[in-house]
Amino acid sequence: MRRSWTDQIEETLIAVLLGLMTIITFANVVTRYVFNSNILWALELTVFLFAWLVLLGASYGVKMNAHLGVDLVVDMVSPPVRRLLGLISVSVCIAFSFMMLKGAWDYWANFANLPATEGRWFPLGFEENYRPKGWYETFDIPLPEVLRWMEDVFNEGEEYEKIPRLLPYAVLPLSMALLLYRFLQAAWMIWTGKADRIVASHEVEAELDEIRKEEKA
Amino acid sequence: MDVVLLFGMVIGLLMIGVPIAVALGMSSVLFLLWFSDSSMASVAQTLFSAFEGHFTLLAIPFFILASSFMTTGGVARRIIRFSIACVGHFPGGLAIAGVFACMLFAALSGSSPATVVAIGSIVIAGMRQVGYTKEFAAGVICNAGTLGILIPPSIVMVVYAAAVEVSVGRMFLAGVIPGLLAGFMLMVAIYVMAKVKNLPKGEWQGWREVFVSGKEAGWGLFLIVIILGGIYGGIFTPTEAAAVAAVYSFFIATFVYRDMGPLAHAEARSLSAAAVDTTVDGPRSTLLQKPWAIVTAFFHPDTKATLFDAGKLTITLLFVIANALILKHVLTDEQVPQKIATAMLDAGFGPVVFLIVVNVILLIGGQFMEPSGLLVIVAPLVFPIAIELGIDPIHLGIIMVVNMEIGMITPPVGLNLFVTSGVAGMPMMSVVRAALPFLAVLFVFLIMVTYIPWISTFLPTYFMGPELITN
Repeated sequence: MRRSWTDQIEETLIAVLLGLMTIITFANVVTRYVFNSNILWALELTVFLFAWLVLLGASYGVKMNAHLGVDLVVDMVSPPVRRLLGLISVSVCIAFSFMMLKGAWDYWANFANLPATEGRWFPLGFEENYRPKGWYETFDIPLPEVLRWMEDVFNEGEEYEKIPRLLPYAVLPLSMALLLYRFLQAAWMIWTGKADRIVASHEVEAELDEIRKEEKA
Repeated sequence: MDVVLLFGMVIGLLMIGVPIAVALGMSSVLFLLWFSDSSMASVAQTLFSAFEGHFTLLAIPFFILASSFMTTGGVARRIIRFSIACVGHFPGGLAIAGVFACMLFAALSGSSPATVVAIGSIVIAGMRQVGYTKEFAAGVICNAGTLGILIPPSIVMVVYAAAVEVSVGRMFLAGVIPGLLAGFMLMVAIYVMAKVKNLPKGEWQGWREVFVSGKEAGWGLFLIVIILGGIYGGIFTPTEAAAVAAVYSFFIATFVYRDMGPLAHAEARSLSAAAVDTTVDGPRSTLLQKPWAIVTAFFHPDTKATLFDAGKLTITLLFVIANALILKHVLTDEQVPQKIATAMLDAGFGPVVFLIVVNVILLIGGQFMEPSGLLVIVAPLVFPIAIELGIDPIHLGIIMVVNMEIGMITPPVGLNLFVTSGVAGMPMMSVVRAALPFLAVLFVFLIMVTYIPWISTFLPTYFMGPELITN
């Protein structure tokens, strides 16, 4: 299968995020024993990278059909029924990612001095009165110089000592929007008959396919 | 009643083919919208705090990465060679060696299906060559592979520790004796069957082979020393131990085994910037020949591919776990665990009946669901009851892990059965039949673990003092 440039970006991003997490955590151990001091921000940054990895990766998982599920029933029914089940389940996924996108925006927006949306599960316009929380910083991660512009944009020119929370939390609306987009794509695939399900039955499915291929060769 | 609806919805969505993560998340969201007044924003916050608030879970990607480097680094082959050298000369030798190899590999990897794939793809073919039936080979590996989640390090144990807030170190220690015991019981069963059926045995290759192959495999097996020694020696937190293990496996795979990265066989490495020199003699180059490899190894395509593979697995597992944590949040908000606890205690259930109920729930659930996701949901439900009944939390954890193991090989839909049928290239039903005799052995083991707490609690209590129950 040929990989498009978006695949490449996503795959590199996944590898880099995991690599960074590992190196930072390892470096923290080294500095503790060699230089007798902890990297103060190591744990918090690793946790944020972890969240970024999984949330952003979730949409890649949809694209690659890697999300775990039960395909017992799906395998038993006839192709037309299978298509119907596929369409129902992908609709559930679309509804879920849509509602999560609304929730993610609502949660993140105030941190970025933006209005959240009205309505319980469906956005009914933006709220008029809200308390901007752009000043809200993380605990330990110092603000790198290249991000100084954020002070003017989000903090009325006041200095940030640590990076503002709007930065790590930005992954929420971003990842949920991507997730929604990928589920819409998956729905199209099922509608047009190019795919019949959106789940993998276990975590080593790709490896098994390889073994099967080798046996045939 | 509303809780029944909640779980009914989860199961219903699972059955029609919705991904586990979405089934859990969607049911929780709908439940919250109907029965409470919490907002979608708070659900999103819960999703993010799955990572922000559970430092323990951070160990999982690192353990996965360590085992990915080890598998691509060809450690499975070396472990199998060492196992054959050690126990291959007994009756049923290759089968016993297969179990032994699964146990060793389980000590490097935290997952059962991964163990089946790594060991099974080599051993099953090998066993057939020396005259075992395909069924026997598949049955052995299918069962022994489940040890992956029982022998530390284990992803499922990390998840349990995070879900009910016990120490990961304790869980790992608690898994050691049960893991060895289960492996031993399987080996004895094979030995007896081999005697009865007169199965082939291999040649004793001498202590030299044991020593040589042991030294080769030792580089990989030292990983378990780093992890367990590091945690119990108080050198690392479990998360740090996992990260150190990942870095260690990277170095072993790239610079010692040299099965991947810039020092590996030049032919397979046409992509590598470091392998421009195609005139290298012999299959592998040394670091002296290519000193720059120490830098290029970090950016090598193999390194990236392994990081990506581990990242992908992390994503699929953690997305399930994160959504299961939303469901857990709903359950605790609605005080469901307390309600169930009161109901069960009022009905006069003692520890024995309670443990049977836990066994049954997990055996059934373990067939359909990814073990870690199931654990996140079930553990908080049964934990308060167990504490009321005076069951040790660590013991409960081991019981749950063993149940999950058996769920993986129980027909009709055990996960390991699927994987084995793929690896061995035989239909599902024959694997089920092949696995049955050994399944019986593991069942006896489950009963032992359930009703003899000592098996699980001895080591943690001995090394770390008695468990303090704070709530």
